[in-house]
Amino acid sequence: MTESAPGAAASAHATGLDHDEISFWRTYVFSTDHKMIARQYLFLGLFMALVGGFLAYAMRWQLAYPDTAVPGFGFVGPETYNVLVTMHGTTMVFFVAMPILLGAFGNFLIPLMIGARDMAFPRLNMLSFWTLAVASLILLSSFLVPGGAASAGWTGYAPLSARSIYTGVTWGLNLWILAHAVEFASFLMGGVNFLTTAITMRATGMSFFRLPLVIWQQLTAAILFLLSVGPLIAAAVMLLMDRIAGTSFFVASGGGDPLLWQHLFWFFGHPEVYVVLLPAVGLAAEVLPVFSRKPLFGYRWIIYSTIVVGILSFIVWAHHMFLSGMDPRLAMPFSITTILISVPFAILVFAMIATLWGGSIRFSVPMLFALGFVAMFIVGGLTGIFNGSAPANIQVHATYFIVGHFHYTLLSGLFFGGFAGIYFWFPKMFGRMMNETLGQVHFWTTMICFNATFFPMHLVGLGGMMRRIANPLQYEFLQSLQPINVFITISAIGLALSQLVFLVNVGWSLVAGRTAEQNPWQATTLEWATPSPPPHGNFDALPVVYRGPYEYSCPEVSEDWLPQDRVLVARSG
Amino acid sequence: MSAERAHPNYVAIWIWLVVLMIAGVAASYLPLGKGAVVALIFFIAFTKAVLVAMNYMHLRFENALIYAIAIVPIVLVLAMTLILFPDFVFHR
Amino acid sequence: MKTPAATQAMITRLPPGKIGVWWFLASEVMVFGGLIGTYILTRLGSAGWSAEAAHLSAPMAAINTFILLTSSMTMVMAFAAVEKNNDRGLRTFLLLTIFLGLAFLGIKAYEYSSHLRAGFMPSTGSFWSFYYTMTGLHALHVLAGIIVNLILFVMARGPLVNGHRVELAGLYWHFVDVVWIFLFPLLYLT
Repeated sequence: MTESAPGAAASAHATGLDHDEISFWRTYVFSTDHKMIARQYLFLGLFMALVGGFLAYAMRWQLAYPDTAVPGFGFVGPETYNVLVTMHGTTMVFFVAMPILLGAFGNFLIPLMIGARDMAFPRLNMLSFWTLAVASLILLSSFLVPGGAASAGWTGYAPLSARSIYTGVTWGLNLWILAHAVEFASFLMGGVNFLTTAITMRATGMSFFRLPLVIWQQLTAAILFLLSVGPLIAAAVMLLMDRIAGTSFFVASGGGDPLLWQHLFWFFGHPEVYVVLLPAVGLAAEVLPVFSRKPLFGYRWIIYSTIVVGILSFIVWAHHMFLSGMDPRLAMPFSITTILISVPFAILVFAMIATLWGGSIRFSVPMLFALGFVAMFIVGGLTGIFNGSAPANIQVHATYFIVGHFHYTLLSGLFFGGFAGIYFWFPKMFGRMMNETLGQVHFWTTMICFNATFFPMHLVGLGGMMRRIANPLQYEFLQSLQPINVFITISAIGLALSQLVFLVNVGWSLVAGRTAEQNPWQATTLEWATPSPPPHGNFDALPVVYRGPYEYSCPEVSEDWLPQDRVLVARSG
Repeated sequence: MSAERAHPNYVAIWIWLVVLMIAGVAASYLPLGKGAVVALIFFIAFTKAVLVAMNYMHLRFENALIYAIAIVPIVLVLAMTLILFPDFVFHR
Repeated sequence: MKTPAATQAMITRLPPGKIGVWWFLASEVMVFGGLIGTYILTRLGSAGWSAEAAHLSAPMAAINTFILLTSSMTMVMAFAAVEKNNDRGLRTFLLLTIFLGLAFLGIKAYEYSSHLRAGFMPSTGSFWSFYYTMTGLHALHVLAGIIVNLILFVMARGPLVNGHRVELAGLYWHFVDVVWIFLFPLLYLT
């Protein structure tokens, strides 16, 4: 029986509509089909990316040419700049990265890859998307309220966020908290759905160690989110009480402790990094073997590493807080766990590189982005080791070095991992191939502009430029760095413009792209064993799985790939 | 739904819970040291919670997966609280 | 075709609804756990909380604990009635649970109003901030449970096709009960 939460009982008649005539509204808007919901997540995420990207553009303009009017936006003073910083971070992490990497790909891939007809709770799935849509609306509406949008940083550090007198923002920050709460509710429902689906609805023969890696990564991400967000929800309630009921949880003058917010935030915040990152790793791990025509190297080791990352991610959070005034005795243990967590990530990266070794590599667009992800993620990981050890962290804390670092990790996941996934599964999602030439242009411009944007950030950071400074010219020692800031801004605008190539490619391919066959990449996992795009219900008959997901260059068959659901008569043992 | 499942005696469990509740309230008046009273009270509360979880939430009849889902977050909360002791308790 | 999960759920013994609710409860443990952990840390880190806690009415909270424990019993009896296909028993026990939940909220509201009249606002001090936040969040959960039970009660007037939902709602209701089992000594008895 497919049952959602007891509260969603109102549309009991819905089951009768499943295969017969489905109205426009139920097909495209209030759909319970996981593939349509995945597309909705994708387009919502892309739309919010435009918003977040525009905020980044205004920020970068202000940093390169301080206190001049930003074309298309207007004058940015320090207060507006704080709004830009805050809303850019919030939008990109919670309303772009999570909807695309988890919402879209998790929803699309989990049922297809495990051989199920839909998610375990299709109506709950619809509810999660629309809850997220409401959260996005709340967030966007906070730009319009008197006092402006939230400006306490995406981390919302108290006491700045706890009293409106500090920022002058009243309703904007309350709505910001509300948007988070609703967004969390959405992804809690989504996470419950992902986990329940993968536990109960795998096809016959699909054991956990035959699951494609991206499913493992999605599930780990879902567990991390479910188990880490609770304390932040509690903290958000407390913050709201501080703002509305006058309590002093996070205000020292009233007996509270601002440090408490930082701990509760980062207890969620660090697992959240992996919530975003792991699915991107999974997407790349799916693409690499297909275009190397080799089995993925160290399948089980990648799974074990993912689990270790998941466990360790709960005990590394205070490495964000070495300079917060927390007890110095905590610095050493958290440094150690942080350095430790680079070991499973190193295993992941080495496994992905070893997959390439000796393969017959095709440099198609998804492969380029997957390789780009591995390369960029190594840079982000290495700078992470700098940040993770307390003595080095003290030097670079809250400078642009940190900004460079987390864009190399998170944005490499979103850009390179996410785009690898979009180019790879676009034929399955929409039934049409994307344009290869435009894709190549998109990759190379993105690759060049990405590095030109974020690598120099490490340099200005080491030069001492603060992370959230609105006008670097106000300090004499930063003035010599200004040419680099201008360079970063020009590159960032280039990065934004190269995404236009992608948008054009999506628009053109949706309308006029070459029709995709069932398995255009000669891949082995179950989603390629059904038409593109898959029909309602995904499979004519539910597949039966006989082997692991990465059987390439298999000597037992004449082709060089062996799908998971193909019966091999000779291989009876 | 497994209709043939053996039930615990729900009313007996309820009597135990009420007895423990009264014991908890009574314990708060005991002429012991503060630490001992607090330990006793929370031991009783913990027992009550286990009774509810095992019998009313049917944890007794569930498999390892449900146990894991129930226990892991409790371990995480305890770990988080303990790790934060230096910052909020030992600072004085 | 129409109910895809029905054919596949056989693979594992557990029904999807139960796994889903337990995952949800796991995240709820983290919400209340974060709040309770924070309370314990803040309380151990500063002095004078017992004196503030003495303003609360332990007898009233004890009555409320009794009510909530009893409501857990009636909730599980409702589920037992489902298993025996006793729809009349189901409705009776659901209604009892709903009334007990409302009684809990009523007493809680009376407590709140008497504190507020005595001048103890959420902003009065750290203890009161935590008191109002923790019990308020818990009361919202009780309210949500009452709404779920009301929906089940309305549905139970028809044929008992979705009886297992009573078990799922029960899991949530008992969880809310367990939270109170800890809030009671944390706030009132120490």
